[in-house]
Amino acid sequence: MGWMKYFRRAQWERERAEEIDSYIEIETAENEERGMAPEEARAAALRRFGNRQLVQEEIREMNTIRPVESKLRDLRYAARALRRSPGFFCTAVLTLALGIGANTAIFSIVDSLLLRPLPYPRADRLAQISLEFLGQGGGLNTAVNGRIWEMVRDGAPALDKAVYSASVTGINLAFPGQNRAEFARQQRVGSGYFRVLGVAPMVGREFSADEDRVGGPPVAVISHALWQRVFASDPAVTGKVIHLRGEPHEVVGVMPAEFRTNSVVDVWTPLRPSTTGEGQGTNYHVIARLPDSLSWASVQQQLAALWAARPRTRSANQPEEYRLIAFPLQASFTLEIRSPLLILWSAVGMVLLIACVNIASLLLARAGSRSRELATRLALGCGRAGVVRQLLTESVLVSMAGGLLGLALGALALGGLGRLAGDLFPVWQPVQVDGRVLAVTLGLSLLTSLVFGLAPALHFSRIDIQGNLIQGGSRGHAGRANHWPQRFLVVTEVALGVILLVSAGLLVRSFAHLRGLDPGFDPNRVLTASFSLQDARYKDSQAVGRLFRAGLERMKQIPGVESAAVTLSLPFEGALNVGFHRLDGPAAREQGRNEITNITYVTPGYFETMRIPLRRGRLLQDSDSASTGLVALVNDAFVAEYFREQEAVGSHLQVGRQQFEVVGVVGNVQSGAGWGRFGPYGQVPFLYVASGQVAGELLASAHTWFAPHWVVRGNGSVAALKAGMQQAAAAVDPLLPISGFKAMDEVRAGTLGMERFMMSLLAGLAGLSLLLSGIGLYGLISGSVVERTRELGIRMALGATFGRAVRSVVLPGLWLTLAGVSIGLLGAMAATRVLRSMLWGVTTTDPLTLGGVAAGLLLVAVLASLAPALRILRLDPANTLRHE
Amino acid sequence: MPKRDTPDMLQGTLDMLILQTLMMGPAHGHTIAHVIEHRSEEVLQVEHGSLYPALHRLEDRGWIASFWGTSENNRKARYYRLTPAGRKQLVAETDRWTQLARAVERVIRPVEE
Repeated sequence: MGWMKYFRRAQWERERAEEIDSYIEIETAENEERGMAPEEARAAALRRFGNRQLVQEEIREMNTIRPVESKLRDLRYAARALRRSPGFFCTAVLTLALGIGANTAIFSIVDSLLLRPLPYPRADRLAQISLEFLGQGGGLNTAVNGRIWEMVRDGAPALDKAVYSASVTGINLAFPGQNRAEFARQQRVGSGYFRVLGVAPMVGREFSADEDRVGGPPVAVISHALWQRVFASDPAVTGKVIHLRGEPHEVVGVMPAEFRTNSVVDVWTPLRPSTTGEGQGTNYHVIARLPDSLSWASVQQQLAALWAARPRTRSANQPEEYRLIAFPLQASFTLEIRSPLLILWSAVGMVLLIACVNIASLLLARAGSRSRELATRLALGCGRAGVVRQLLTESVLVSMAGGLLGLALGALALGGLGRLAGDLFPVWQPVQVDGRVLAVTLGLSLLTSLVFGLAPALHFSRIDIQGNLIQGGSRGHAGRANHWPQRFLVVTEVALGVILLVSAGLLVRSFAHLRGLDPGFDPNRVLTASFSLQDARYKDSQAVGRLFRAGLERMKQIPGVESAAVTLSLPFEGALNVGFHRLDGPAAREQGRNEITNITYVTPGYFETMRIPLRRGRLLQDSDSASTGLVALVNDAFVAEYFREQEAVGSHLQVGRQQFEVVGVVGNVQSGAGWGRFGPYGQVPFLYVASGQVAGELLASAHTWFAPHWVVRGNGSVAALKAGMQQAAAAVDPLLPISGFKAMDEVRAGTLGMERFMMSLLAGLAGLSLLLSGIGLYGLISGSVVERTRELGIRMALGATFGRAVRSVVLPGLWLTLAGVSIGLLGAMAATRVLRSMLWGVTTTDPLTLGGVAAGLLLVAVLASLAPALRILRLDPANTLRHE
Repeated sequence: MPKRDTPDMLQGTLDMLILQTLMMGPAHGHTIAHVIEHRSEEVLQVEHGSLYPALHRLEDRGWIASFWGTSENNRKARYYRLTPAGRKQLVAETDRWTQLARAVERVIRPVEE
């Protein structure tokens, strides 16, 4: 029997009926034996049994899955109730959908980047060997130099480790047979890199130790996409040749399609680590896989011992500035994006909270219309638990509808976010609305329905039946006492909104500050085109000089072009850093004192093209060549930093093995903050040298890290300029493709990508919260107007002026807003601390932002209160009273 | 919402009385109803019909099992018998009941001394 009874229902019921028949027959027979007449005997038996209908019904009910059926009934009621108030239903569902949608989108990103493990086997055992700064402010340096790599390589035998360069640079992938080239993204990695990550090439093998040493054979591992595109997925690809960086490379392996790291790469070449050249600086990254036998703590101990035992140049009793640690790889990959993402996550959480508060307040505001219905239900015998269940069912219905709509909005928003973010976020697994996100979203919707549904439900279940039925629910003044929960909710909503608005306001101000900074040059009508010179054919300055001269010759002939130049790095972007020291004046006497500056080489026309002003001395000239004296220009910031006590022009600087004479001083331009400045960009010390005078070794390392740019200033359509530049570049060397065009505005936008992203998102969320707060206030005030119609009518009939009536309705809303704003401002001061690292040119207590937000919210409050208050204007006292 | 919720106390009591009756051997509904009525010296006057939902509930819980048989006067009747689980339940119920009764008695009895 058991659960089978649910299926053989008809038979089961027949048997029950038969059983009852059997009782009645037996009882009738006994009655007859006692001497009753047959009719009488049967009637007595039926009487004895009681209400057969009721008994059978009770038995039947036992045989139904009661919870399901009563839930269905609740759902039907709820749907009916919501259909009767479409305005409420739509507002609530939309409000929630916006909140859920924002959360879905942001959670998808957070989940894919922060919560899910990296897509490698046992990713939790992967570490980045990093240097932790122990001085003021702390900080983590995930990059190390060649010497530290060798120390880890030789000194930590238990770890499986590899070294790589984190920078992905553009290189030329040439097809000499077709006399064309395309642009490819290259990363240089040491042997064992793929092994440590735990992903083997799907075809071929990774680099051997023999290939990964200086002077080793040119080999390459290619991505799945490149394999498909260039080799048409040829399984016999190993041993074939591709032309990279102007040299033939032998393909030794193909990585699987799903292999991804924190950057998109087309081709990997051996790093060939050393302790000289780039190995002198912190240009390497080290990954390691912890064996199962070692805990993180014991690895840290080993590394600390290794660090302590290192040969030191400075005296050993100086305090340690750094500590060598194993940092979880995922945390290292997400070092820069973790806090922006967490900030966004909290912001969308707050928006959702505001949405919930708003719906709760809307539900409470329905008190007027619902209390009578509910009182009737209670009076008719529906238990209080029944009312609570009924109201919660309505909330669940709202939250499910909101959740589904929110999911759709979230998926849409995710697409928009992807475009807004550009390549701000590394993507090692697809960011999408998948099963996990779906589960979290629906769970969240259910949770919200409890959050916003429970309070009103409990509130209603304590309703005064008699009072409501007699009074008609929506009259009188007495109902006002019940507004306290709603008022509390509105204050909460406003306070949360203030926190979001202040955060957004600060980011907007900061962004405006950055955009408003004087660039130091004329960015209009300047078009730049980058190309890679990481090319075996351009190893010395003669070859580079020939290329630039021939290229610029053609660029200048493009119709509309006024001037053209080449520069290693652009304004707003980061630049190469080099060490130098001053050769004359008091600074020269400080032996071994090495300073660091930003440096770029340019062709002489650069300053004219960019319109960077000359302060004194002279600019670079075409005659400054390899055969004449080495000259350099410095900028104002450089002078301010290094030449406060002596004249810059005419002094000498040593850079590497070259000595430059400073021949002129130019104005500052905004540059990506490299040495000497924090923030996205600023006026940093800069050294300009002539492209024709740079030593070969500096050129080689510069071109490993940076792609130079053709820069033209000109009139005419951008498309025509681009086509002209493309042709000019191809005519000079068809194997040097242009990797991308950018107007100066786009260069700046690129540098401000994260700022723009955070600002746009927070501003959007803050706008949403402002809208929601407005709706909340509107609901509160219009509810109180409706409820007090009679009272207001009587007051006005008794001579209260219109102004007075309006004031009595609007003022409470304003007081509530004021309370919310005050609480919110306090909260904002605490909350915006986490934003401090993203603010430039504005403090977290910026009076303009705080004041603007407060004033803005009060304005919204006035507007939200005014609309319902004006309804009083149409109130006819006589009419109101007659309705009694 | 249940149409006719028997208060918990009475329901438990009825269950116990049914189980107690079946201790003496299998019986059909009619017999059980009359036995309960007689044994409680007609104090517990219940409509006999209300017995049937209780029987199904007990069967559902596995405390009693049913089979079709013929009554003393050769009519088809559904018989119930106690299962081992039902036996255990009866012991537990009886203990609980006795404890409760004692407790109530202690409360009601005037303090001696």
